[in-house]
Amino acid sequence: MSARTQTAPSVRTALYEAPGPRTRRRIAIGTAVSAVLLALLVALVVRQFYVTGQLAPRYWSFLLEWPTWRFLLQGFVGTVEVALTAGAIALVLGLALMLGRTSGIAPLSAACRVVTDFFRGVPSLLLIYFFFLVVPQYGIQMPAFWMLTLPVALAASGVLAEVFRAGVNAVPKGQVEAAYSIGLSRWKTMGLIVLPQAIRYVIPSLIAQLVVVVKDTTVAYVVSYPDLMQNARVLITNYDALLSMYLVVAVIYVLINFAINKASVYVAHRTGVKIIR
Amino acid sequence: MSQDSAAEKNVPVIELRHVDKHYGDLHVLRDVNLTVSRGEVLVVIGPSGSGKSTMCRTINRLETIDSGEILIEGEPLPQEGRDLARMRSELGMVFQQFNLFAHKTILENVTLGPREVLGQSKEEAEKYAMELLERVGVAEQAHKVPAQLSGGQQQRAAIARSLAMRPKAMMFDEPTSALDPEMINEVLDVMVELARGGMTMVVVTHEMSFARRVADRVVFMADGQIVEEGSPDEFFDHPKTQRAREFLDSIKGH
Repeated sequence: MSARTQTAPSVRTALYEAPGPRTRRRIAIGTAVSAVLLALLVALVVRQFYVTGQLAPRYWSFLLEWPTWRFLLQGFVGTVEVALTAGAIALVLGLALMLGRTSGIAPLSAACRVVTDFFRGVPSLLLIYFFFLVVPQYGIQMPAFWMLTLPVALAASGVLAEVFRAGVNAVPKGQVEAAYSIGLSRWKTMGLIVLPQAIRYVIPSLIAQLVVVVKDTTVAYVVSYPDLMQNARVLITNYDALLSMYLVVAVIYVLINFAINKASVYVAHRTGVKIIR
Repeated sequence: MSQDSAAEKNVPVIELRHVDKHYGDLHVLRDVNLTVSRGEVLVVIGPSGSGKSTMCRTINRLETIDSGEILIEGEPLPQEGRDLARMRSELGMVFQQFNLFAHKTILENVTLGPREVLGQSKEEAEKYAMELLERVGVAEQAHKVPAQLSGGQQQRAAIARSLAMRPKAMMFDEPTSALDPEMINEVLDVMVELARGGMTMVVVTHEMSFARRVADRVVFMADGQIVEEGSPDEFFDHPKTQRAREFLDSIKGH
């Protein structure tokens, strides 16, 4: 077993064997049938919209006006602010929870475990209600921004703690032994050897979680924080344009998360020293 | 040479006294007693599962022991914390799987210990690292990451990483067992040179020709016990125990 460089085969070739002639024919038929079905479905939906009058200009014309977009843009900025802040807090807190849990100090470890499982198991909406309804009762007033950001961050931190832990566990034991054998302390081993490798393993999961954070921010309406979703709701009431607005907002969210994915691939490439074994 | 260091010379670098270890019901080390003197090359051989790797790893506490004592230059091996880390930094260890830090270049692998543990400057650490990499013949790979090197090159870099700490002694835990056959000799050559240079070495290996050529003493282990020890010629030509004879017969003809 030598440890020479190998290029990893793509998932596709690793999981499936190359199709033969009969399989290729079956794939072609399947593709054609599903394309036709999809076209039919889209046609049906559009027809239904037309019949019920949803395609009337009054539902769409406001989208051609700048104030509409300025308002949406303000919401977009709000969403980005909350998502980035919550994401950053969750990263730090998740890391801290993981380090606490794997510290080997029994009480700390147990406490971090309970906290992790709690935030991981409780829906973020419930956490938001807690910060919105319960916390103020004890005289703590916070701006809507934090009433939204903190619960979203806490919910994500529980998941991230587990993601980090999975990454740390994926680092081969030999790396730790080698670090110990040259006299590195536990913490230096963690910081210099284990974490840098663990984070490279879990970048895809970290990104997936950031997408969840972005989606979690859409419950901003609970605390009346002007994020993209909340502003869209205001527009909907103003113009009585439910369908068109929701479609537009859905597309924007897809684009945001698409951008996050692209950025992550770029970051992974930039920092990704190949660690093939 | 002063009186003191002359006296020090008589203290074994590594000493194991009545070391016992269990994995559950399995008794992996049974009353192991061993001394390694300064400059001595000790080769440990034996069938797989005989406890030779485990013994090697107890010396810098990568494996704990149940009872007995391990002394490094007469001092008991620390159990934990800063003292243990310092002791480990003074003992080199070379692993079967190389265990080079996968996310760092070869040069960074070699300079990490000197910089983080010994507090050397970057320039100082890199200068010595390049000397060592030159010596083991991988200087040209200094700026590559481990995955870009062959197994033999990785193992030689791993030896350089250990040497960078200027260790009192080095342990080799089956250093050639994970290598393709054509790369075994390039690693053994480096080890031979180290031995000639006076390094104190404990080598767990299946390379009998290396043992014969380089070892000052051969220890034969089976079932967690040291069954026999002696000079290489004694051991290979006139094994005293039945167990050792069987083992030597079983590996002959290869």
